[in-house]
Amino acid sequence: MTSEWLVPSTRSELIENLVSGVDRYNPSNVSILEDYLYHQIRSEEYDCLANLAILKLYQFNPDLYNPDVVINILIKALTASPMPDFNLCVSLLDERPINSQLDEPDPLPSILPILKGLHALLFRCRFPAFWEIYNSEALALLRDNYTVEVAGFENAVRAVAIRAVRATFTSISSKRLSSYLNLSGAELAAYFQKLGWTVDASTLAVTIPPNPDNQIEATVVQESVKLPQLVKIISHAVAKA
Amino acid sequence: MAQQRLSLWNAEEDIEGDVDLSIAMGTYDQTVQYEESVHMHQPQIDESTLIAMQQHIAQQAAFSQIPDVVKSFIVHFHQAVLENNLAEITVAYESGWNKYTEKFYAKTEWPEAELIAPLVNDDPIFLILYRELYYRHVYSRLQPNIDDRFHSYENSCELFNYLLNSDGPVELELPEQWLWDIIDEFIYQYQVFCTWRSKVTTKTPDELMMLADGGPVWSSYSVLNVLYSLMQKSKINEYMVAQREGKSAEEIAEIVGEYGQRPLYRMLGYFSIVGLLRVHVHLGDFTLGLKVMESVELNQKSPFTRVTACHVATYYYVGFCYIMLRRYPDAIRTFVTILNFIMRMRQYHTRSYQYDQISKTADRMYALFAMCHALSPSRLDDNIANIAKERYGEQYTKMARGGSDALAAFEELFVYACPKFIIANPPPYDDPGAINALISAAAEEDESAGSAAVDATQRHLELFLADVAAQLPVPTLRSFLKLYTSLDAKKLANFLDADEEELVQEMMVLKQASRSISRVPGTEGTSLLEGQTITTSDLNFVIDENMVHIAESTIGRRYAGWFIKNTERTQKILDDLKSMPLPAPSKAAALAVAGASAGDNAGQSRPARTGAKVAWGGGVKAA
Repeated sequence: MTSEWLVPSTRSELIENLVSGVDRYNPSNVSILEDYLYHQIRSEEYDCLANLAILKLYQFNPDLYNPDVVINILIKALTASPMPDFNLCVSLLDERPINSQLDEPDPLPSILPILKGLHALLFRCRFPAFWEIYNSEALALLRDNYTVEVAGFENAVRAVAIRAVRATFTSISSKRLSSYLNLSGAELAAYFQKLGWTVDASTLAVTIPPNPDNQIEATVVQESVKLPQLVKIISHAVAKA
Repeated sequence: MAQQRLSLWNAEEDIEGDVDLSIAMGTYDQTVQYEESVHMHQPQIDESTLIAMQQHIAQQAAFSQIPDVVKSFIVHFHQAVLENNLAEITVAYESGWNKYTEKFYAKTEWPEAELIAPLVNDDPIFLILYRELYYRHVYSRLQPNIDDRFHSYENSCELFNYLLNSDGPVELELPEQWLWDIIDEFIYQYQVFCTWRSKVTTKTPDELMMLADGGPVWSSYSVLNVLYSLMQKSKINEYMVAQREGKSAEEIAEIVGEYGQRPLYRMLGYFSIVGLLRVHVHLGDFTLGLKVMESVELNQKSPFTRVTACHVATYYYVGFCYIMLRRYPDAIRTFVTILNFIMRMRQYHTRSYQYDQISKTADRMYALFAMCHALSPSRLDDNIANIAKERYGEQYTKMARGGSDALAAFEELFVYACPKFIIANPPPYDDPGAINALISAAAEEDESAGSAAVDATQRHLELFLADVAAQLPVPTLRSFLKLYTSLDAKKLANFLDADEEELVQEMMVLKQASRSISRVPGTEGTSLLEGQTITTSDLNFVIDENMVHIAESTIGRRYAGWFIKNTERTQKILDDLKSMPLPAPSKAAALAVAGASAGDNAGQSRPARTGAKVAWGGGVKAA
């Protein structure tokens, strides 16, 4: 279950050696990992541990710090919800003193609270609110400068919603699901088709295929007594008989 | 005793004359020297003047202020180290050092290494070890100044340099406990240095200057470098993998090489892994912390558990990592294991000098356990759960209830029980302009706000509380759902005075909170990060459009244990009774027994008859 997270199948041997060996501390390797991050962004791949290795290098070598890379890492981690990836990344962002080395003002201090807010909405399954805020005028900067570059970002957010819905519902109204996915009409229908989910023509309810999380059963776990528990008593009885 | 005192007096006098008299301590020709000195002095002065002179000299020389017992202790200690006599070293290290600390150095430093050097033949290795103890004492009992901080770093470097960069493995042997303490103290000093360094406002001009030129002193890279070097030199990971694969002793010896075969390096290698775990946690890297533990098998049987302090620290940091990874069931399991272990060990450890430290860590783990238990209720171990609820009852009630009070309780326990967090990099001491700006900015804000370490803890606290806040409605929802087998979402929203759509979204959070990644049985020997999604709650539900269907799994009461225990007890009592000799009753006693049993019979029969009568009488009345 976690093995894909620990070692994504798309991770190359070069990256694997960096992530798992002591070379991860070598500042001269940062560009390899940064290139890999941009590869992930272009091709809808995700490798949390490799990205954490970048943040680790930034933590130890403040002069390597590149705010755009950090923001991209956080955007990728955002859609791993409800896994803790986003928090793990933020944990490594040390408080940094006013940085005079950068040519332009550091965008991270203004964007980090926005991303934290978006993460909270996803973690709390407030999907309609997420879309409303994400598409608001105030976040135009984030969309135009960052998420637009991240291939499949909106679909990744939808995948978060789908994970939550799949676990919780056996069927859900199209209207509700549409608000979670920020899709309607033909787009929504196409999305359902891709998932293989069917919509009831009369009720417009979407049926969620059964999976381990949306099947419930009341069980009573009964105690079962194992023979070894009784060994002492039985052997005692035999010895005395 | 008299002999010893005289020889020491001799030593004092000779040091003034710049002669190495450590030989006087090592070799045993003291009488000869005594006679000589007496012979020299006697013609001029009488005995009382001599004593006065001795005392005068004693007050003058710093060396003489060292109590004789301490001198002989150091000589003994040195001898034990020279001979690699583990038993003697252990006695000196665990009891002697602490005894004399209590007696003579509770509030002051031990004598400087340079001062005692003549006693140990200027043995550089012993002096490094001595300084290790000297600085550890300064850190734990006194207030280290900047020189202490820098010098303790240099001394650690010398020690590790000696261990790692000599020609081949060194012959030195040290008790396991000491080896752990060396690593533990190294990281502790790094951690307090980082914390101290980050407070810019409290530095004197001299300190600012030294910090500006500090270079690699206590840098994160240098600390990691030591730990990784020890791991690699000892081939500890290869050793543990080979052990798990059941390789023979010869094969293992070949794999680990000349360093790894020696207990000193093997133990240092293992302790370095745990040290790395700790450093990564201090730095907020919880995944990497667990990743370095990859080849360590967490169990009670491993020989590495012999050093209790290390064993306890390992579980504390692993458990904390799991909390930050939202893997509460794993955290609970980790804490339960070690808290049970500590409880069993208690009887043996109350006298250990480390007992205080261990029981403090245990208290913090009970607090962490209480937090996890509130977030992910489980019935793993009622015993530990009860102790945790007893100790943190007030906070636990608030946390388990959810709602607005809960956050404050979570915050209180988190701040109390979390590890120290540090900032990896120093403030820009090497840039006077930047540092002055920082100092004046901090001074303007608030005196205490200048501490970045508080910020580091604050950052992790904030993340944790954000997770917790998302879960706050969960206990209320659960308690409502428990009352129904099916319930319309709209109706539930009405009960809770909530918006229906928001409630449905809360329900998804509830579902999310009942699932967790967890290690599963049968995966021992895999990375601590491995795991599968499991269900953590006995309350399960599903929403069919708008209708919530609820199913609860219950665990039937467990009787077997109780019956088995009592059957065994009864069997034992019966056996004991049977094996007892029958008492030969005296005549009077026999009579009394007979009388009593007769009385009993009478007593039993009488109420029985009355009882019947009453019942019959009652029946009549009713009729």
